[in-house]
Amino acid sequence: MRNVRIFYEKKGRMKFVSHLDMNRFMSRLIAKAKIPVWFTEGFNQHAYMNFAVPLSLGYVGLYEIVDVKITDDNYSLSQLIDDLNAVSTPDIHFLKATESVMHTKEIAFAEFKLLFDEINTEKLNEFLAQESIICAKKTKKGGVKDIDIAPLIKKAEIKDNKLTLILSAGNENNLNPSLVMTAFFDFCGIEPIYYEVTRTMIYNKNLEAFC
Amino acid sequence: MNNKEFERLLLSVQKPGRYSGGEINSVIKDKHSVDVRFAFCFPDTYEIGMSHLGMKILYSQFNAREDIWCERVFAPWLDFEEVMRQNNIPLFALESRDPIKDFDFIGFTLQYEMSYTNVLNMLDLAGVPLKSADRKELSPLVVAGGPCACNPEPLADFVDIFFLGEGEEVDLEVIDLYKKHKKMGSSKPEFLREAAKIEGVYVPSLYDISYNEDGTIKEISAQNGAPKTVKKRIIKDLNTAFYPENFVVPFIQIVHDRAVQEIFRGCIRGCRFCQAGFIYRPVREKSAEVINRQAKCLCENTGYDEISISSLSSSDYTELEPLLNEMLDWTQQNHISLALPSLRIDNFSEELLQKISHIRKSGLTFAPEAGTQRLRDVINKNVTEEEILSTCKIAFEGGHTAVKLYFMMGLPTETDEDLKGIADLGQKIVDMYYNMPNRPKGKSVSVSMSVAVFVPKPFTPFQFEPQISKAEMERKQAFLKSCITTRKIDLSMHDSSTSFLEGAFAKGDRRLCDVLYTAFKKGCKFDSWNECFDLDKWNEAFAECGINPDFYSGRLRSYDEINPWDHLDYAVSKDFLVREHKTAVLGKTTPNCREKCSACGANCYGEGVCYEKR
Repeated sequence: MRNVRIFYEKKGRMKFVSHLDMNRFMSRLIAKAKIPVWFTEGFNQHAYMNFAVPLSLGYVGLYEIVDVKITDDNYSLSQLIDDLNAVSTPDIHFLKATESVMHTKEIAFAEFKLLFDEINTEKLNEFLAQESIICAKKTKKGGVKDIDIAPLIKKAEIKDNKLTLILSAGNENNLNPSLVMTAFFDFCGIEPIYYEVTRTMIYNKNLEAFC
Repeated sequence: MNNKEFERLLLSVQKPGRYSGGEINSVIKDKHSVDVRFAFCFPDTYEIGMSHLGMKILYSQFNAREDIWCERVFAPWLDFEEVMRQNNIPLFALESRDPIKDFDFIGFTLQYEMSYTNVLNMLDLAGVPLKSADRKELSPLVVAGGPCACNPEPLADFVDIFFLGEGEEVDLEVIDLYKKHKKMGSSKPEFLREAAKIEGVYVPSLYDISYNEDGTIKEISAQNGAPKTVKKRIIKDLNTAFYPENFVVPFIQIVHDRAVQEIFRGCIRGCRFCQAGFIYRPVREKSAEVINRQAKCLCENTGYDEISISSLSSSDYTELEPLLNEMLDWTQQNHISLALPSLRIDNFSEELLQKISHIRKSGLTFAPEAGTQRLRDVINKNVTEEEILSTCKIAFEGGHTAVKLYFMMGLPTETDEDLKGIADLGQKIVDMYYNMPNRPKGKSVSVSMSVAVFVPKPFTPFQFEPQISKAEMERKQAFLKSCITTRKIDLSMHDSSTSFLEGAFAKGDRRLCDVLYTAFKKGCKFDSWNECFDLDKWNEAFAECGINPDFYSGRLRSYDEINPWDHLDYAVSKDFLVREHKTAVLGKTTPNCREKCSACGANCYGEGVCYEKR
């Protein structure tokens, strides 16, 4: 049995599929493609899958990752990609599969590209240059907590109405770009404007591509 | 509207997956290379509509033809409707996102009366004139089918064509005729007159209704060569009938999120309250071999990890045990769970229970429908108290500790004694559990009893019967509540304002079209949803139109009164319904179709259970 990491893109109409629905979608796709995956052996048996970092509803993802266990040692990983693409929708496109190298715990950063119709670059730079950016974040327990997101922003670069952000990701200190933007809109005292979000990369703490 | 703008709006509402389309197995065609575009509309939310098997069958069947592109349309939920109206987005089909007003056909499936306002609201959102008479062009044609088409009169002003019975053949015949007339440049009346000649096609505008002074119908007369009576269509051989190899697999969770395999149509039982038991006659089975093959194919093509077999009474399927053996074989191997809904109490064997418990321990649900044997005889629900108790016993011994029982109140001839019987039956089940020496250790029993209000429906022996009044319902509910003395019984009774409306629309005539229109104008929609249903608006609508709903639902009808649906022939004769009604009042049962033929009339098709060797 091999631990296999599958890389794929999530785009187009699939943007509207939430993480929970993505779970169901992927397990059906695996069943449909007849991939020899390992099933959990508990009370409610299901194909073992582990998504590295959930993607918010509405975002495009170009470096999405799901881990499975392959039971058939003779089943090639290029075959796996072909089989999945043969049954998938064009909006979920599988890129490659490898044996996993890093542990998902090593995930530290994610890169996002935010595309605006028009954004005030000067104001944005002023906002990002602050030493601390305090904003309210919903906690898992349903409460609200003030946190400083400035240390969680590793890199921010604005060019032609396109903002590239490298933000903390993973189990601890996960930062969603929407929180950054909400803080920015508050900072300017303006109504939120629409922007498209694409997650382009997942990194470890040394900013090496997660693999 | 461009894609980006549309997607921005989608992200502003709940569950955008309802409107995004793009699901696995959804069908995309080039609109320029098809002759007919069909918008298949389900007048409720995506989650409900996508669970409907009939839509899946017809969607696949239409799309199997190169010249037709059938797309899905659902009623947008309130939040998205607001967005659509604000941004002038007309109702669109999920696959192409094209406005459905430009389609050739706008087809609705009528599954329950409480969805009628949504039909009007969807036409309005589409930007299509609501009334048939106001749509002068040949297309879009507004058509409708489904069980409620057996009395479609409350929608007669809005719909051009109703399909009676099963749609697989008749729908395509009408589409073909349409293609011909579109090419010829025919007018809409010309086309409708021709369509009415096809068996199973009811064109309401070709029928004149006149009324007596007391408001009852005097005469229904066919015009322009339309047939005097319209007979429903059935598929004679289910083994060779079309069945989808593929379902559109939704992204968001829907109500019945699994593969569904039909095993037969119709029901041998003839429970007298059950409309489905009469309008789908005669019983026609699929062979176990065909079912197994189709089911396997469906699971492979969808990737579903659950499959449910579907029929009105699955344990009446003649080859059930061999079928289950076959299916368990490959479902277990592939981690697929098999669900068996609609099992009857009386032939629920220990062996069968073992097989199901093999798969997954889920709740057990039974529908005794009435509390006493006398009343169960009246409604022809031929199960005895002993059978109910022994089935529960088997279930408890198998490790179950919860059972769910369904009942109705307001059944014909019902007395307080019968209601008390519901409570007593629940108590007996509780007592039996605690008297079992081998009951599951340390676990408490839970008996859930759900009691609905009976609504008399057309084409049943109880079509002549009145529905109980709201006051009487409230009295009965309070009485039943007072009869329950243990906390092991969980009694749920709905506030059933909707059932009274349902009763009126089920048995109503086309004078209700105005009421429906008025209610829609007042903002009524999603009437089957508690958070949307507004009884006051409905009462206003009835009052403004000068119509009393009790006239339709609250009155005992004489056998020779002309009912609004009497010109529609669902193969069960009125004589038979009268006979059954008389037998019911005497408290006598009628044997099921396999025991003895009761000459209902459904043998006219020359197929089905009527011709099984006994």
